[in-house]
Amino acid sequence: MTLTAVPEPVTEPAAPERAVAARTGPSSAQRLARGLAFDRIGAVYVWLGIIVLFSVWAPQTFPNLDTAKQILNSNAITALGALSITIPLAARVFDLSFAGVMTLTGVAVAHLIVEEHVPVVAAIAIALGVGVGIGVINAVVVVVMRIDSFIATLATGSLIAALVTMVTNEVPITDARLGGTFAKIGQTSVSGITLGVVYCAVVAVAIWYLLEHTATGRRLYATGFNPDAARLAGVRIDRLRFASLVASGGLAGATGIILASTLGSGSPSAGTPYLLPAFAAAFLGATQLKHGRFNAGGTIIAVLLLGTGVTGLALANAPSWAGDMFVGVVLIAALALTGLQRRTSAR
Amino acid sequence: MQYAPSRDGAETVPPVLRIAGLSKTFGATRALIDASLDIRPGEIHALVGQNGSGKSTLIKTLAGYHEPDAGSRAELDGAQFDLGRTVPEGLRFVHQDLGLVLELNAMDNLALHGGFARGAIGRVHWREQEQETHRILARFGVDLDIHRPLAAATPVERTVVAIAAALQGWNGGHGVLVLDEPTAVLPHDEVERLFAMVREVRSAGTSVLYVSHRLDEIFELADRVTVLRGGRVITTHAVADIDAAGLASEMVGEEVDPDYRAPVAARPDAPVVLEARDIHGRWLRGVDLDVHRGEILGIAGLAGAGVLELPYVIAGCAQHAVSGRIRLPERSEAWSEAGDARDLDIPLVPADRGREGIVAEFAVSENLSLSILGRLGRRGRLDKRAEADLVEQWTQRLGVVAAGPGAPIATLSGGNQQKVVVARCLVRDPALLVLCEPTAGVDIGTRVAIYDLIAELSRNGLTVVLSSSDAGDVLAMCTRVVVLRGGRVAAELGGDGLTEHALVSAMEGEDR
Repeated sequence: MTLTAVPEPVTEPAAPERAVAARTGPSSAQRLARGLAFDRIGAVYVWLGIIVLFSVWAPQTFPNLDTAKQILNSNAITALGALSITIPLAARVFDLSFAGVMTLTGVAVAHLIVEEHVPVVAAIAIALGVGVGIGVINAVVVVVMRIDSFIATLATGSLIAALVTMVTNEVPITDARLGGTFAKIGQTSVSGITLGVVYCAVVAVAIWYLLEHTATGRRLYATGFNPDAARLAGVRIDRLRFASLVASGGLAGATGIILASTLGSGSPSAGTPYLLPAFAAAFLGATQLKHGRFNAGGTIIAVLLLGTGVTGLALANAPSWAGDMFVGVVLIAALALTGLQRRTSAR
Repeated sequence: MQYAPSRDGAETVPPVLRIAGLSKTFGATRALIDASLDIRPGEIHALVGQNGSGKSTLIKTLAGYHEPDAGSRAELDGAQFDLGRTVPEGLRFVHQDLGLVLELNAMDNLALHGGFARGAIGRVHWREQEQETHRILARFGVDLDIHRPLAAATPVERTVVAIAAALQGWNGGHGVLVLDEPTAVLPHDEVERLFAMVREVRSAGTSVLYVSHRLDEIFELADRVTVLRGGRVITTHAVADIDAAGLASEMVGEEVDPDYRAPVAARPDAPVVLEARDIHGRWLRGVDLDVHRGEILGIAGLAGAGVLELPYVIAGCAQHAVSGRIRLPERSEAWSEAGDARDLDIPLVPADRGREGIVAEFAVSENLSLSILGRLGRRGRLDKRAEADLVEQWTQRLGVVAAGPGAPIATLSGGNQQKVVVARCLVRDPALLVLCEPTAGVDIGTRVAIYDLIAELSRNGLTVVLSSSDAGDVLAMCTRVVVLRGGRVAAELGGDGLTEHALVSAMEGEDR
C-alpha cells in the first residue's frame, strides 16, 4: 500500500474552527459538571433521595451501618447475576437461562459433595464446567443455529430445569458436608461484609475494564448496536456473541456456587427469584453513566438503588407487595425517561 | 377520453395536488429547499432525480413520515392539508418495499389495508372477502392464487397487489397515486405489464406521481416530468418537450459537469492487484474481474444486475452463498475461495450508510476506529491516546466537519458520515478500497467533495473499485467501467469509449 505515510489534508476542512481538530478537552470543572449531570447518574440522586426518605420514615431501623451491610450482603448475588448478563446484553444477546444455570451449578456442586463425595475443590471445578458447558450450548443454539436469543435461552432454560429436577428430584440437597470448607465461600464475612460483596466488586471491575478499556468491549457494543455495520467493519460478530454467552454461562455458574454456599444447600429453585431483578438492574443500569450502553457501573448503581428501596420498604413495615411495586415503577420510570431524552435530543 | 393526458393548453385545469414552498432540513443537511409541484388531474407525472436529490424526502413528507419545515404548504383538490401530519384520503402510496406482508396471501394483504368484511361478533365473511379480492384484482387483469402467501408470487404480482391495496376504497374523486420506484425490483419483461396497470389507474381519472431514475420509463409512460436536484425543483416539462440527453443534464446539473472526469490516468499497463474469476452469487452469474493498480474501476448496471452484490463478494461480506476464486497476486499467488474472501482484508464502504455503515449510537471516533481496534493498544487494552491521535489525523485528512471526535455520529451530515466510513476503511491501510454507492443520500456539493477525495486517494496510489447504479458517479470518477447485466459482464468501457451514451445503453441493454 502506497498511501503517503504522513497524511496531508485532501480537502481543506470547510470550517476549520468546527473541524474535529479541537482536542483541547473540557476543563476539569466542566468534566465534573458533566459527570454529575442528572441524565448521566440520575439513579444515584434517586438513591440518595431514597436513603433520606427511609431515614425519616424508619429512623429507628434504617439509618445505621448494619442496614447498609445488610443491603450490600443481600444484594451481592443479584448484582453478580446482573453482571453476568451485562456482557451478552452489550452485544444485544439475551441470556434468560442464567438463573437456571445458577440453580443447576448450585445443585450440581451440592450433589457432588454430598452424594458423590467429591472433594470440594473438584466439585466446584466440575460445577463451573457445567456452567460454561451450558453457555456453550446456548451459544451453539443462538449463534450457530441462528435462533433468536430471547426464545433460545428460554428453551435451554427449560432443559436446565429438567436437569435440575433429574439431580434433585425437587428436594433440596442439605447435608453437614456442605457446612465446612464449602460454606466458607459464601458465608465468610469480614467485619460484617460477606465475601459475596468482594466477588461482586472484583467481577464489576473486570467487566468495567472489559467493556470500557478493551477492543473486545468496543466490538461488543458495536455488535449490539449495529451488527451489519460491525460485520462490514471487520468485527467477528458471531465469535463475540458466542463468547458472550459462554462468559455469562460461566459467571452465572460461579454465582450459583456462591449462592449454594451461602444457603448451605443445593436448592432446586435457588436461582429463580434472581431472574427478574437481575434483568431489571441491567436495563436500569444501561440508562446510567453510558447512555444506553449496558455497563458494570450502571448495573451496580441500579442494584443498590433497587436493593435499598426494597430493604427500606421492609424496614419501614410497608406492605409486602410494596417491594415488587417499587422495582416495577422505578424500571418503567427510568426507561421512559431515557426514551424521552433520546427522542428530544434526536430533534 | 375525459381525462385526456394534459399536455399543452391544460394550464386552465386546476391541479389536483399542489405543493408549494416545501422545505425539509435534517440536522445540517437541507434535503428539500422550497420545492413546488403541481399535479394535474389524470396525468402521469414523473419525478426524477439522482440519489440524494430529495425524491424520497418529498415522498416521505407527503406520506406523513417527515414533518416539513415551517412555511411548506400543500393542497389536494383545493383543500389545504397539513403536510407531515395528515395524509388526505385522496393520496395513496405504493412505497418501494411495497409494504406487503409476504407471509400472508393476497386476500389478507388487501384486507389489512381496506378492512375485512365482517359480521356479528367480528366474524370475517370469508366468502364475501374472497369475492371482493377477485373483483379488485380482476381490474388489473391479474390471475393469481389469492390463497397462497405472497412470498410465492412473482414480483409484478406483488406490485399489483400493493397497487390494488393502496387504491382500495377509492371514492372515485380526484386523487393521486404515488408510485415510488416501482420497477426497481421488476425484471425487464414485467415492466410492460406494470405500465399497463399504471395506465389503467390513470384511465379511471386518478393522477399518478411516478418516481423513478430510469429515463426510458419516463419517456414511455409519463405526460410531464419534474426534475429534482440537490433538494430543489429544477424544472417541470411536458415529456414531449425534452429528450433524454436534456433530461439527464438537468438531473446531473452544472454543479457536476457531466463531462467531469476525475483527474486520474488510466493504467492498463499497471500490474493487476485483484483478480476474480467466475464469481457466482445471488445475482452474479459468472463474473471475471481484473483490477489494475492505481485505477478507479467502475462497476455499473441496473438494480438486479449484481452491481450491489459484487463489491460485497470481493470484500468477503456477501450475505448469500457465493462461489468463485479471488486473489491478490501481489500478496499471494494462491487463489482464495470467494466464500473466504474476508481473509483478504479488503475494506468496503457499504451501500446503505445508515443501516450498514455507521453505528448510530457511537461517537465519531468510535465509528472511525472500529476497523482497527486490535492494533490500537497492547494485550487487549485499548490505548485511548493512540485512538485519539489516529482519529484526529484522519478526520483532518478527509476534512470531516464535526463538533469533535466525541460528537455522536448522528449529528453529522450525510457526507461527513460517509467520510468517517471511508476513513474507517483507509486506516486499515488496504491494497484496494471497494466502494458501493458512495454518494447515496449525499447532497451535490458533498458529492463533488467525495469525487475529489477518491481521485486524490487514487493519485496517491490507492486502487479503487467503485460500484454504483448511478451513471453520473461512474462517469465522473472511473478510468474504466465494467457494465453488468443479468449477473454477467455485458461490456467494458474505457478511454474514449467511456461516454454517457455508451454507458447508459450498455446498462440498459439492447432489449430495452
